Amino acid sequence: MEKVIIVRYSEIHLKGNNRGYFERSFAENMEKALRGIKHEIRKHSGRYLIEGFDDELTDEIVARLSKVFGIHTMSVAISVKSDLDEIFRAACKIGPDYGTFKVETHRADKKFPMNSMEISAAIGGRLLDYKPELKVDIHNPQTVIGLDLRENGTTLVFNGMIRGAGGMPVGTAGKGMLLISGGIDSPVAGQMIAKRGMKIECVHFHSYPYTNMQAREKVEELASVLAGYTCGTNLHIVKVTHIQEEIHKKCNGEYMVTLLRRFMMRIAERLALRHGCQCLITGESLGQVASQTIEGMTSSGSVVEKLPILRPLCGFDKNEIIERSRAMGAYEISIRPYEDCCTVFLPRHPVIRPKMEDILAEEAKLDVEALIDEALASTETVKL
Amino acid sequence: MIYLDNAATTKPYADCLERAGQYLIEKYYNPSALYAEGYNLHRELAETHRKMAALIGNNQDYSVIFTSCGTEADNQALFCGGRRGNVVTTSGEHSAVYSCAARLKELGVEVRFAALNPDGSVNADSLLSLVDDKTSLVSVIHVNNETGAINDVNALAKTVKAKNSRALFHSDGVQAFGKIPFRLSPAIDMYSVSAHKIGALKGTGALIKRKSLVLAPYIYGGGQEEGLRSGTENVFGIKMFEYAAVKKYENLKDNFEKVRALNSLLRSALDNGLFKILSPENGSPYILTVGAYGVRGETILHEVNDKGLIIGTGSACSSNSKLRHSRVMQACGVGGELIDGILRLSFCPENTEQEILEAAQILNSTVKNRRDKMA
Repeated sequence: MEKVIIVRYSEIHLKGNNRGYFERSFAENMEKALRGIKHEIRKHSGRYLIEGFDDELTDEIVARLSKVFGIHTMSVAISVKSDLDEIFRAACKIGPDYGTFKVETHRADKKFPMNSMEISAAIGGRLLDYKPELKVDIHNPQTVIGLDLRENGTTLVFNGMIRGAGGMPVGTAGKGMLLISGGIDSPVAGQMIAKRGMKIECVHFHSYPYTNMQAREKVEELASVLAGYTCGTNLHIVKVTHIQEEIHKKCNGEYMVTLLRRFMMRIAERLALRHGCQCLITGESLGQVASQTIEGMTSSGSVVEKLPILRPLCGFDKNEIIERSRAMGAYEISIRPYEDCCTVFLPRHPVIRPKMEDILAEEAKLDVEALIDEALASTETVKL
Repeated sequence: MIYLDNAATTKPYADCLERAGQYLIEKYYNPSALYAEGYNLHRELAETHRKMAALIGNNQDYSVIFTSCGTEADNQALFCGGRRGNVVTTSGEHSAVYSCAARLKELGVEVRFAALNPDGSVNADSLLSLVDDKTSLVSVIHVNNETGAINDVNALAKTVKAKNSRALFHSDGVQAFGKIPFRLSPAIDMYSVSAHKIGALKGTGALIKRKSLVLAPYIYGGGQEEGLRSGTENVFGIKMFEYAAVKKYENLKDNFEKVRALNSLLRSALDNGLFKILSPENGSPYILTVGAYGVRGETILHEVNDKGLIIGTGSACSSNSKLRHSRVMQACGVGGELIDGILRLSFCPENTEQEILEAAQILNSTVKNRRDKMA
């Protein structure tokens, strides 16, 4: 009796000629997620089997795989010889002792002398005899015992299914540059886009010495949480202190955030192009704060010339974002009280609906290109 | 690197470390063990307890309970001394006491906070007015860790006892022990100290308590430290604490004068158009707290750090707290332009005049430059 994990994938089966490409990325991502754990991944008629691991690591493997996009469901199974007695013993071991159940059989091994209905009935009957507190319920059972008779003469016996993360394998839908702050929203935005198969790079802006090292550490931690879902990521850290000082010195203070965001978008686009990213991703949610009005987005979006900007959280309420942040394991880090660069020099009354001609007039007071080059030169990259 | 954050922690004394090393490498036995090696160690530790108590009080009257830190000693004092009636403390306490008081409140004990004078010392009238016949414990910090103000805890304890002789009096002496001249008077029941503030190691502290005081244990187990603080003794840390403390007390007066000179040198070298001195003249010379006008303390901390100077902003233990502004400085009435720009400069006798002058120059130029940029 060997333990194996059955992994079923979600939308890859919809793909046509490029299916092989999707499956390769998927298998590679699982390999990356399980790095450091002894295991083997085998492809087997439309699903994958994880085999050859230590029993005690089963839960950890399931936990790591639950972050891999592309997995629809998983089952922890026992692999036995295709023999009714052996199958029954395994079913006894993993099945419940009371409540309702049914047995579902999938027979790929057509040489086996019984058909799937007969196998289900035979195993179900023996379970009923052996465990008198069990009851059969075909329509709405509490437990489904799955039997998978494979062509190689072995049977996988499993109890129910564990939901996977869904989505598409990361790396099959290009690469995007995520603007990550220390807040709740941006990691969630990154995770949502990664779920559709996009590889993610991150850029973070800081204002040392106005912000501290803990703030940076917090962002690194958030990016590592995200990296668990995106098969790793690069975090680019850019210093915008001088830009903030120049805006503070030369421009109307109410435009601090508006102007700074335009700088961030320009810098992010240049970094994105440098690293082969095809879009920018932000955690903006419509109307959440003063800079996230449609006017604010128009202003910051208009400086991005070559790439689209994805804002997956635009239609989300804060509560919905928090829920997702909790589920991905980022929330507790996000709410730590460190300041990111946006709050330094924060005006008492930022402009909420900035007019383009005013923005341009304020921006004309700055040497935009020189400031961008200076900030880009400060970039540090951390591989996570 | 010039280190002026000695109130946060101090550099361990190399000679003490070397002497204490034997307790790490050779005398690694469990002092509770019955064989000779263990028993001898037990005897040595008993001597250390007596020696430590004698440094600050009469060791006929006081015993020492070693703990893992000053915070633990404060927790023991508050939770084991203040479980009924009401507890009186001050708004100027370190969070090691303040958070315990907040927890006691949650547990249903009435907690009263005495007001502060502008220099950070407790207002004696306010304190006394809060004490009544239901008061079980009064806790007053000895040297305020944010301003350096000294509370005359002996006198305060006497007036408290005169009003309610059954009330226990505790003082957090972490910033005073080994630094300012002081002897425990019999009115003080418990006194917390910490090793790493005087050149010994993090991981060691002590509660000095009146011998006749019966306390409930704070940590239960094998009955070490008079049964009040179970757990195998940190022999190395305790011996290191002893050596450093003895060294401090042998040179107490000289160190005090030396640090006082450094303190006044820095006071006069700082540009008074940029800084306001917040520490009192008659406070502990080991701490000099200033407010820099119109800048953020943390920004200055980072900038001077890059220029080779290490300083603090208020208490290092509360810089993680969600409240950005110091609760103690606010209670002292500091506000407006200064509350954001608080810097704590704290000394050790090993600092030199040269370092102080250099530090003043770095601070002056950094704050001036930052103010020009922020203006």
